[in-house]
Amino acid sequence: MKNTDLIKLPFSKNNPILVQVLGICSCLAVTAQLKPAVVMALSVTVVVVLANVIISLLRNTIPPRIRIIVQLVVVSTLVVLVDQVLKAYMYDVSKQLSVFVGLIITNCIVMGRLEAFAMVQKPWASFLDGLGNGLGYSVILIVLGFVRELFGSGTLWGYPVLEKLGLYNIGYENNGLMIMPPMALILVGIIIWIHRSRNKELCE
Amino acid sequence: MKNFSNRYMLLYALGLAAIVALVLTIVSVSLKPLQTRNQQAETKQMILKTIGIEATLEDADKLYSERIEEAKTNAGLPYYNYDNGIIIPLNGNGLWGPIWGYIALGKDLSVVGAVFDHKGETPGLGGEIATDNFAQRFIGKEWIDQPIVLKKNADKGNTHEVDAISGGTMTSNGVTEMLAKAFEEYSELFESWENSQAIAELTKEEQQ
Repeated sequence: MKNTDLIKLPFSKNNPILVQVLGICSCLAVTAQLKPAVVMALSVTVVVVLANVIISLLRNTIPPRIRIIVQLVVVSTLVVLVDQVLKAYMYDVSKQLSVFVGLIITNCIVMGRLEAFAMVQKPWASFLDGLGNGLGYSVILIVLGFVRELFGSGTLWGYPVLEKLGLYNIGYENNGLMIMPPMALILVGIIIWIHRSRNKELCE
Repeated sequence: MKNFSNRYMLLYALGLAAIVALVLTIVSVSLKPLQTRNQQAETKQMILKTIGIEATLEDADKLYSERIEEAKTNAGLPYYNYDNGIIIPLNGNGLWGPIWGYIALGKDLSVVGAVFDHKGETPGLGGEIATDNFAQRFIGKEWIDQPIVLKKNADKGNTHEVDAISGGTMTSNGVTEMLAKAFEEYSELFESWENSQAIAELTKEEQQ
């Protein structure tokens, strides 16, 4: 596989959410607003990139029989680091994300990339693969966060867009369903639908 | 696939654990002061919110020192004075973990504002106690003679009843218990507060 493909494919033809359908749990939980969605996306990207590189560097020294444990320890360490940094520098966001930061450890995208890619590939390729998958995940999270915050709360990044546009005065109301997790699932479904209709080879 | 000896595996695992432990310790210790500062600012933010001041983490410190004065009851329990009354801290247990809050009382011991938070109540159910919507139900209720209780279909006119959270019965019960506990613990403070207010009233009348 070419290096550019490592970055490009996870965006579309091999998107972790749309095609592999991984990382759905966090994508439902943190996308009610744009800001936590962006922070979660960044956190997962950082974790998956660093974990990929570290595991790739260690790949020849890791005994296969304890490889899952080693992967988990590396991922957990990185996640705890991210959590600590968020608590120190972005306290309000870290409160909103609460347990979901810890749950990055169980995000299948991270373990999936380590097991499928980093264990057998060189560090640079693993870095690109991690970046591609992290960003592929991020794009979906940010789109969901954007749509759900705009139509669910009428704000974007906390700024009251619809109020400033004067939509409420002419009888517009926020859609309460948008901020509930099921709506995220419906939106992901719609995105997958559009995506598959444009990429016929993905249809089973 | 290479074959590794048991000895290698054991040492590998131990070595990894040692390195990870070292890294985590260094980070945890070096970020601790910042994290503690954030937590303190958050507490101040909550206390300010009960009297209607929306502070950010940055200006909470300044506003707090301007508006709030920390005090202790005769029994050594902490409470807070503000220009128009007192603020009582609340601590209790929800369904999954600790819950806490602050309740601001005006001169006549009616509730001016309240704020609640929790460690791990279910989002959307018990977790609703942390919302403004829930906290606002307390405004105007009275903290005299008996504690405020949370009830299903509470009577709006009753100044000692607040609507509980549907789907969050266990957490609501926790809040009721927390309020009852505080009511008992601070009863002495309320009596002396009422007396001092009565005296203030009298002197005012005399002056007139």
